Amino acid sequence: MSPTSTSPPRRFIALGLEGSANKLGVGLIAHFSDNSPAQILSNLRDTFISPPGEGFLPKDTAKHHRAWIVPLIKRTLKESGVKVKDIDVICYTKGPGMGAPLQSVAVVARTLSKLWDKPIVGVNHCVGHIEMGREITGAQNPVVLYVSGGNTQVIAYAEQKYRIFGEALDIAVGNCLDRFARTLNIPNDPAPGYNIEQLAKSGKVLLELPYTVKGMDCSFSGILAYIDQLATQLAPSSDADSTTKSKQERKPLLDPATNNPITPADLCFSLQETVFGMLVEITERAMAHVGSSQVLIVGGVGCNERLQEMMGEMARERGGSVYATDERFCIDNGIMIAHAGLLAWRTGFETKFEDTTCTQRFRTDEVHVAWRD
Amino acid sequence: MSAFPHVLTVNIPLPSPRLATILSESLSVDEELSPHVHRTFETDGSTLVVRYSATTARMLRVSTNGVFESIKTLLETFQELDEPL
Repeated sequence: MSPTSTSPPRRFIALGLEGSANKLGVGLIAHFSDNSPAQILSNLRDTFISPPGEGFLPKDTAKHHRAWIVPLIKRTLKESGVKVKDIDVICYTKGPGMGAPLQSVAVVARTLSKLWDKPIVGVNHCVGHIEMGREITGAQNPVVLYVSGGNTQVIAYAEQKYRIFGEALDIAVGNCLDRFARTLNIPNDPAPGYNIEQLAKSGKVLLELPYTVKGMDCSFSGILAYIDQLATQLAPSSDADSTTKSKQERKPLLDPATNNPITPADLCFSLQETVFGMLVEITERAMAHVGSSQVLIVGGVGCNERLQEMMGEMARERGGSVYATDERFCIDNGIMIAHAGLLAWRTGFETKFEDTTCTQRFRTDEVHVAWRD
Repeated sequence: MSAFPHVLTVNIPLPSPRLATILSESLSVDEELSPHVHRTFETDGSTLVVRYSATTARMLRVSTNGVFESIKTLLETFQELDEPL
């Protein structure tokens, strides 16, 4: 008897569109019915970078996304070789995020859905990060630390929901870092947090900053206010202008141990050590609560190697380990939206056309995680 | 005297009724943000008819400028990404 030939697994392809903050991402992903690993067909991104000392405003960010979205989608199709007829579903970020940027992407997703006659799925941005982290790292059931410019949450999965165990009560940790970068006039290219991380590497003095863990949650706005204040007391740099004359009359901030002036690098170092220590604490608290020893870090701040190092030390002490992805996936991208959207669509989920709106607030635990047990 | 005295009607010709309908449907999903502005989208054959009325001239200007930016991107989408039938 000739061996029966097994037919090849069915391939599902999703287009993902992300634009909740200043990163515009377009991704194309393939899933297979035999559950072999997902295949990344394309993952393109263009970031709207504001000048040093400035953040990105919704109106300008939306303008950037509108200018780049069609060229990026065109390039995605061209480089991947995927034909429109092979795409099964269009996925877009429903929220959370900034209103105008979200809408600038959603309206194109809707249009493609009608032009190409494809179903559409609205995706929760946080769930996108979590699912991409799980897929890339293979982490089984970790506690997830989701940290970015817009979000700070400690998450654990239970009974088809990603439950929030702890979070930032005021501003996200990434927002604290980004705003301090503006205070110091550090460039936003490629990202303010990245430049703070590099500057912190040459910091030597650990200053005592407010440490604001509140049970399972934490707060960052007080630390930011405090360190912004310290930054005004830095010794003037060589290119001081007339506004720093009054600072010269005040004694600059000195290291009590050596009497050397405190540098911006010292402030960056102190800020990172403090806020990352807080994140490690609330993550560990959640791990103790659920009895897990694995940590998965997702979100743009998850690229930070010092955070990964500190989290790794804690996880190893508990007999576990930390999982993290590289900048292709921890920074906002379209592939995570395609991935999470395709997972949902394959369970039969679809967003009705009239419901393809965006929302600035979209809690991680509002999503029914039907694709997991 | 109408509460929304500042009115603008814009007729946008599209290459086909299909594209005019898609444009109208895609733009209609997002609700108008301001209570000072009323907006409707309709199609008349291949033409998209956009009607705005607002309480002040400034609100009329702001809202119509906003929708034009979206329309520009969607026209680009039609041009670059529509599949031949």
